[in-house]
Amino acid sequence: MTLPFVEMPGKRSYPPRQSDFTIKFWQGLADGVFQTTRCVKCEKLSFPPKPICPHCWSKETVWETLSGKGTLYSKTTVHAGPAVFKEELPYQVGIVDLDENIRIATRVLGDAKLDTPVEMVILKYEDGDLYAAR
Amino acid sequence: MTNNVAILGGAALPVGKWQGSSEDETQHLEHELLAKLVMDAMEDAGLEKSDISSMIFTLPRPYTQQKYFATFMANYLNLPCDGLVMEVLGNGMTPALAFQTAVDQVTLGRAKVALALGVNFESATSSYDHMMSSMRATGDVDFHTPFGFTPISWYAMDAVRYIHEFGSSREELASVAVKNRAHAMHNPIAQYRKPMTLDDVMAQRPIVDPLGLFEVPGRADGAVCIVVADEDVARATGKSYARIRGAGFYHEGAHQINEVPNDMIAFGSARRAGEKAYAQAGMTAKDIDFAELYAPCTIVEVLVSEALDLVARGEGGRMAAAGETSVGGRIPICTSGGLQSRGHPAYVTALYSYIEVLDQFRNRAGGRQVEGAGVGMTSAELGNYNAALVHILEAVQ
Ligand SMILES: [Zn+2]
Repeated sequence: MTLPFVEMPGKRSYPPRQSDFTIKFWQGLADGVFQTTRCVKCEKLSFPPKPICPHCWSKETVWETLSGKGTLYSKTTVHAGPAVFKEELPYQVGIVDLDENIRIATRVLGDAKLDTPVEMVILKYEDGDLYAAR
Repeated sequence: MTNNVAILGGAALPVGKWQGSSEDETQHLEHELLAKLVMDAMEDAGLEKSDISSMIFTLPRPYTQQKYFATFMANYLNLPCDGLVMEVLGNGMTPALAFQTAVDQVTLGRAKVALALGVNFESATSSYDHMMSSMRATGDVDFHTPFGFTPISWYAMDAVRYIHEFGSSREELASVAVKNRAHAMHNPIAQYRKPMTLDDVMAQRPIVDPLGLFEVPGRADGAVCIVVADEDVARATGKSYARIRGAGFYHEGAHQINEVPNDMIAFGSARRAGEKAYAQAGMTAKDIDFAELYAPCTIVEVLVSEALDLVARGEGGRMAAAGETSVGGRIPICTSGGLQSRGHPAYVTALYSYIEVLDQFRNRAGGRQVEGAGVGMTSAELGNYNAALVHILEAVQ
């Protein structure tokens, strides 16, 4: 299960850091894989991916690929943003409830309406990847 | 000893632009302004310097040159203290946490009189640059910030969701800003006091859809000193005061959004904190005469007033438009002018709420006076109301 890619101009405005743990998530994006962690003990998913379970505080989690399907919960267009995002203004961000019952905040492309289905895509920048809903 | 705590005095700088730059020949210095407020507040309280045992400061912005501000001020005021001298930080809740910590000093018996005070200087830094810092406070720096979320973008998404779910209109939300400006016109320490119509609000450039320039807080400098005291000390002064009847705090264990989908615009933390405050006070929303709520944007005032049961769910915008939350209406909200018009010097903003409560209780609020203001409510928050601190206060004449 891989997600569609969308080519983006230039570099990411505010690149995320990666740890020995989260590097798997960011490298996965390069292959079109959108994944997070599931707790081995209570079996709940968590996002962002974590080496611990925030629900039952187990220290054992495993990676699991997500469907990339969800519903748009809310969105906005940012017209006044931080200095590093000045070139991108205006841009759309939103909140998506993934089908796996996880809420994430992300970029939004296109004109999806609230409570309608959206799909996750991988944004390919010159220096790496991000993700968005459309 | 009753173990009750009172707000007995306060003084505040008019909200506005006070911070200068290194190019100016002279600049306002934070400690000079704040030291005068301490004296004004103590005069207002009818107490002496030697009565103070504790000073709880809000952390100044990083733009303030003087570091270790609290201990610097202890020296500047030549004020030895038995109780705590410290600085507090908790995002937008910072000033309310400073206030609560000062109250706790009195409740714990560590001080008979404690100050909650601070100064917020930031206006000389551009919004674009300031947001480089604030965007990292209201989101996960690796999983939110790279997308460009700004602090108020979360509130904008509340507004979009609210309009979607309850069919409230953009105009109804904007009417909150008009109402707050009408209040601020009568507040001499408010930042924005020129008359403003609904058309004026609707005509502004968009900042975060659907919110325009006048529906979000401007940036400002400010400084406040609040005097809290054991009620026995307050009573002995012969002055009127605000008795703290109830307090409630709740943090929902989420940062901006809950990773398990929930009703984001129910402001569950405000509801829980409010329920605790009501229970401690032995009161309900019907007992509240006015509320000074921390609400950076119009939509936030609507949502928190609903979560605190001051207005019905889904009706907050319509009730503001109908005048129910104006002075003279059923439940006046943000009589100071609120964050949009009284102003929002963030790390001291909530301290201005207690100033407003005292002004209302002492019948010195002029054209924004609430008739028979006997019980007031305040709220403060951080994130997207992920945490809330609510107080219920009662006038004692
Ligand atoms: Zn678990």
